[in-house]
Parts: sequence; structure tokens; C-alpha cells
Amino acid sequence: MNSTPIDDKLHQRLLLARAVPGDRLMLGDDTLQAALAGTRALTPNERAALQQSPLTLRRFRHLALQRHAASQSAPAPTAANDALWPGSGGMLRAASSSAVLDELITDDRYWTLHFLPNDDSWQVVLTLAPNAPFAARLLREQAMLRVVDGGGAIILQGRLDADGECERAWPFDTAPASHFHLYGASFAVEPVAP
Amino acid sequence: MRLPGTRYQEHGWEQVRKLLGRCSLQAFRQIDMALMLDAPHHAELLDQYTDAVAAALRLSGQGARAEAAGNSYGDGVCELALSLVFELRAQPTYWGGLMSAIAGEHARIGAFWRQASADAMLRKKVNDMYAGLRDKIDADSYTVTTGRACSPNKMYTYRMLDTAYRDIAQLFAGWRQHAAQVGAILGRELAGIPIEARQMKSIAGCKAEWIIRWSASQEQYSGAAGPLHTKSKRFSSLKNSPEKIAAMLIEIGDYEELSANLDSGDDWQSDAGEAALWLEDYWRVIGESEAREAEEEEEAPLPDVVDQILQAPEPDDEEEEFELADEAPDDDEEGEPSESAAVAPLLESPASTDQLRDEQAIASALSLPPRYLELARSAQDSGSWTLRMLKDDTLAIRLAVYHKLLGASDDSYPDAWLDPATGELPTLQQLAALDQVSMPTLRKRRNAAIDKLYAAQSRDGVKKE
Repeated sequence: MNSTPIDDKLHQRLLLARAVPGDRLMLGDDTLQAALAGTRALTPNERAALQQSPLTLRRFRHLALQRHAASQSAPAPTAANDALWPGSGGMLRAASSSAVLDELITDDRYWTLHFLPNDDSWQVVLTLAPNAPFAARLLREQAMLRVVDGGGAIILQGRLDADGECERAWPFDTAPASHFHLYGASFAVEPVAP
Repeated sequence: MRLPGTRYQEHGWEQVRKLLGRCSLQAFRQIDMALMLDAPHHAELLDQYTDAVAAALRLSGQGARAEAAGNSYGDGVCELALSLVFELRAQPTYWGGLMSAIAGEHARIGAFWRQASADAMLRKKVNDMYAGLRDKIDADSYTVTTGRACSPNKMYTYRMLDTAYRDIAQLFAGWRQHAAQVGAILGRELAGIPIEARQMKSIAGCKAEWIIRWSASQEQYSGAAGPLHTKSKRFSSLKNSPEKIAAMLIEIGDYEELSANLDSGDDWQSDAGEAALWLEDYWRVIGESEAREAEEEEEAPLPDVVDQILQAPEPDDEEEEFELADEAPDDDEEGEPSESAAVAPLLESPASTDQLRDEQAIASALSLPPRYLELARSAQDSGSWTLRMLKDDTLAIRLAVYHKLLGASDDSYPDAWLDPATGELPTLQQLAALDQVSMPTLRKRRNAAIDKLYAAQSRDGVKKE
């Protein structure tokens, strides 16, 4: 669709300046941020809730503009070869719903999460693929990383070792497969701002 | 007082309020007040009122009073008043509140607006409406900026505490004259200058128990009960919650410090670039959500994802006590869309020579450039979504739509749309005359066009071609 600047302003006005009695925040920041980051799509009900609530749309707008501002002020990569890495997302696939979950891979295939049973709990291991364009920089900078679920909760946080791995105890009571089903069936690996 | 996102809470509000009162009285003179008693007319009256009051505000916009700063972000008094009028259109409940206040007065004393004393009464009622509306707008903006829920009542409570703090600060500063009350606030006999008076550098340093004791002592020392101790239940539960008071005081103080050297407010007023930026995200997020839903329907269904929709917040105890007393009950009939207007004659290109000549005669009679319609028409962007949606409407109707939704002036308007005399879009009267229709007809067609846009946006706004 061809959208002129006036159209954009008009769309904005139509979306945001509507009378909706009793309007309130319908979605939390975690949900909105995950949708913005592309790590967890909104469910049909959430989508409807967003579209019908000007207040939630205004919060969405605020967060979207904040993201753009943050990405503009982020430091440029130090060398041309060091690709900038804003984070990688992935989804639980349909096939993985029946079997016991042993690994998840991000959509860009640069990160793998392994789940290792450990007595009655689990260990979770994050592994970086050596061919990732940003691999050299992340290893050199010992960057702080985190893995979050579709609801925004932190699954793992830490720095990669020399093998490009980071291992932690699974932090939840529910098994990994059930946990992901509960929280959006998605996850994301992100750099943690220093 | 400043809080994240708020624009109407500082001392400049007094001027905004007065300007709105004055311009509202002018607007009422152009309106058939008797129709206010009749609920089905309320939507139409709101339309007439906002058009008239916006025009009066723009006329007053040149005065020194109107240009003065209305808040510390540099928003002018007139600018703030105009944006509040815009907000009123999206919050018809507040208009409904004013209508029932006027109907209530009418039931008591008849058609009071014909009496000499009417101005003061009307001004008071308009004041009430905008006082409620500004807290609603600021509470919403606070929520948008912080992600935390806030109600108009809570905004009012913040302001009450801010006022209380200022009063306490004054008493502390004049502690010699006010020794007895300062002692009552501090809860001890004074022996020389109270050290607390020097230590309280900002509202964040004001203790909750001082607020409570100040309020309790007001009746004795000022003759009027303090806000936590009036008969009204408004703040009465607050006096038993010093921790709630303390948190609010600290929040005001922290933000005041943080925002002290900000030179612009939040993001309420954006340029087209910003609109494009976030709308792009919006279409993408909606698209991804739809794609995922479609995927689930086609393939083996993915395991159910639990909706993460927030519960409605528990209303605070005190919240329900004081729903603004003079607010109207919701009036469902109010927003009923008017009968869709007869399809406007297509003035679109190619216009014949005869048409052009007729147009020039009309434009000249309105003190617009003779070729106004012709040039304004060709200045439209033919790829525009709005133009396609409103292709069956006349240029004048489309301009009236922009006039209503974006205002008389906006930096995205091409020059050919503007009246060179004002640098703004033609007035609604001029637009009506261009189409040779009456004002009510223009409004009706304009509103039908806006309804069309709403419908189109929710129907296929996200489908990119």
C-alpha cells in the first residue's frame, strides 16, 4: 500500500484517538516487546486486544519509538567484519511438542539450546555456531547474553566460554517442553546491554 | 507538578482553563443551547462546539496570554487548550457530563443561558468538564509513558499532595509566625528553628506523616478542613496509608528532579516520520500474528499458547467513592452514526471548462485564489490511501476530514491546500461554500467519510499491496 506522510498521520490519529469507554492497558510490556522483537507473535486474542485498545496502542507506539531510538544510539560495530547482532529468535516447532525436548535452534540457526536431564531437573546449554558472522566478536568481547522465553522471563544469563558455550541450571519447576508451551512457544537469545 | 507524560498539571493550567472558558462562551453563542437537553443531539453539538471553540482559540492565538508557556516543556497556553479540545472529541463522556450538568441546571431554573448571569454559570461548568478531562488525558499519558496504570482520580491525588507539600513548605518558611501549626505538623514543641524545615529541599523530602498532620491541623489553623479530613470520602482512606502517600511524594520529587532540564515533553506530538516508523512496526506485528494464526490453521496445530492479556487492575478502595459526581452516565445513543449522506457529486478531474469557471467564481467569492480548487486538487497525492478510500467524496469533504483529524494547519499539507490569507486550510464555512452545501450537510458528509476511514482501517488497513 502506498502510504503518504499525511496518510500515516491520519492512520495514527484514527488508531489512537478513538473513544473506548473503560479503556485500559491490555498487554504487558513483556508481551509487546516480544512482539516488537519478533520473538513471539501475538495470539489472535492478544492481537484483537491491542487493536481495540487505543491506550495499549499508545504504549506500543511508545515502546516501538524507544526501540528505534535505542537502535540509533547503539555503538557502531568496531570492524567491518564484525556483523552487528541484535539478537536471535526461535520457536518451538510442532514436531517438538510430542517428544521430550532436547534441543531448540534459533531461526537464524546460529544458536542452539540443549536440555540435559539432571536427576529430577535439567541443565540448559547455550551454544553459538562457529560460523555465525558475529561469533568472533562475541567471543572476544565476552559479551553478556541472555535467553528469554516468550513471556520475557530469563532462562539463562551469562557469558560464553572459550568453546562458545554457556551452561546453567534450568531455572523453572516445569520441564522445558511444558514451560515453552505455557510461554508463547518461543524464545530469544539477546545481548544484555552493559 | 510534573509526572511522566503529563502536560496539564503545572501552574500554567490556570491560563489554559481561563482561555478555554472564554472561547467556550463564544462558541456557545453559535449553538442552539436548547438542543443540549436532548441526548440524540449531543454528538452533533459536540461537533459544532469543537469546531467553533477551535476557531475561537486560533483567533485568540496571537495574544501574549495565549502564547505564554502553559507548562515547563514549553507548550503554549493556546496550544494546550487546542489539544485538549482535540482530546474532547475522542472522549465524548466528558461532553455528556457537561450536557447533563446543563440539563440539570435547566430543570432547576429554566433556560438560564438567556439570563445575564449565564456566563459565570456556563464558565464554571466548562471548567469542571476540562478539569476532569485534563486528569483523564494526563493519567492516560502517564500510563503510556510508564507502563503503569493510572486513573484520573490518582492524578488528582498526586496534585493534592503536591499542593499540600507547597503549603507545608510555606509554613516551614514562615515558622516564626506559624509556630503552633508547624509544631502540630512535626508533632513536637518547637525550640528554635526546626531542623526539618531546612532539610526539606524538595517534595521527596516531605514526610507522609507531616502531610497527614498538616491536613488534620488545617481546620484549627486555617478554618477549613484539610483534604484528608473533609466530610467527603475522597481522600479519607489515604490518611491511614502513610506508605502510599510517601511513595507518591517520592515519585513526584524524583521525576521533578529528573525532568528539570528536559526541554521538551514526551512524544505526544509527532512528526510524520515518527508515525511512519511505529506504524511500520504495527503492521509488521499484526501481520506476524496473522501469519502465525494462518500457519496454525493449515499445519498441525501448534500447542496452545496462553494469552497474556492483563487482568483489569483492582480498583483502589477510594477510587470508586468519588467517581466525578457531575459526570454523566454513559449514553449509548450518543455516538449513533448519522444516516449516510447522499453521495457527493464528483468534482474530480477532469473538470470541464464550465466547471472550472464555476469553481473560480465560487472561490473568488470566498476570498480564496480563483484557481484554488483546481490547484488543491492536483496537489493531492494520487497514490494516497486516504484519497482512494474517499474517492467518492469531494475535495472539500476530504479537506474537512483532514481539518477535523489533524487540525487546520499541519506541516504535511501541500501549500496549494492552504488559504494564503491564513496559511491554514480554509475554514469549515469556506469548505461548505465550496461544495455549495450547508454547514450541517458538510459536517454530516465529513463524519460519514471519517466513519468510512475507520471501517477501512479495521477491515484492510494491514494488507499491504
